[in-house]
Amino acid sequence: MSDLSGIPRSANPVRIAILQGDARASADPAVEFSTILGSCVATCLYDPVARIGGMNHFLLAEPPSHKSQTDFDEHYGLFLMELLVNEMLALGAAKPRLKARLYGGANLHERLAPIGSANAAFARRFIRDERIALVHEDLEGHQARRVNFQPTSGRVRCLVAKYDAVPTDKPLRRPQSACGEVELF
Amino acid sequence: MMTHATRILTVDDSPSMRALLLHALTAQGFHVEQAEDGQAALEWLAMNEVDVVITDINMPRMDGFGLIEHLRGSARHADRPILVLSTESSDEKKQRARNAGATGWIVKPFDADKLASAVRRVTH
Repeated sequence: MSDLSGIPRSANPVRIAILQGDARASADPAVEFSTILGSCVATCLYDPVARIGGMNHFLLAEPPSHKSQTDFDEHYGLFLMELLVNEMLALGAAKPRLKARLYGGANLHERLAPIGSANAAFARRFIRDERIALVHEDLEGHQARRVNFQPTSGRVRCLVAKYDAVPTDKPLRRPQSACGEVELF
Repeated sequence: MMTHATRILTVDDSPSMRALLLHALTAQGFHVEQAEDGQAALEWLAMNEVDVVITDINMPRMDGFGLIEHLRGSARHADRPILVLSTESSDEKKQRARNAGATGWIVKPFDADKLASAVRRVTH
């Protein structure tokens, strides 16, 4: 499960936790993004020329209450992917240079719907459709993962995590702030 | 009297977002054309007619602000409804779009019904 690039780690990293619904990017060599994944997927994007990296953490949400509850809400996953790409571009990354690593998407409960596989499939499809190079994936399976990502080196460490360390494995509804607010001028 | 479906040009550099918009808007009965950035939109609009433009902000070559400014500088597009559809929601960005001549601002992730409703309001 470990994916090491051989680049030395910062002695005292500033560790930033990436929680479900977050998307962060950084050009600071001291920063290390960290997350724990069950059914969720984390996308690590890296621009090796600009030395900028970013991570998001998503679980496909249930659609808004007035919509059908039968499908997962890919709008929200797409939003978090776009948010991550935009954070990277704002720091100076170039989309054609981006390289992606995907982690998570475990199916922790055999009796429940394969939420993890749905998240993994969405992430793979997004990366493919956006023509971003997928350089590594560690997806699905039945174990939780802890992922540490150094954004300026692209280095990732992915380890098995204890099941009870996973904060949640239920899809969340879209936040109230993410329901397509319309403002006409 | 013959009526035609409202023609929409969506402008977004993300193929995933273009696919989502195409599906959502055609399902609502709109005729949809698509461009991948502001420059491609301008080239398409030089040869074609449209009822409303829906544009992203962050795009290569020409961003959404540049597209709005170019369109408002042309008599042909001076009154064309232009809706911004963006992950951005800061007042500063909204004000910049309003000053450039945008008709409205819609925050991603969009709701298909709200987006369709906004299109109908600005085209009638």
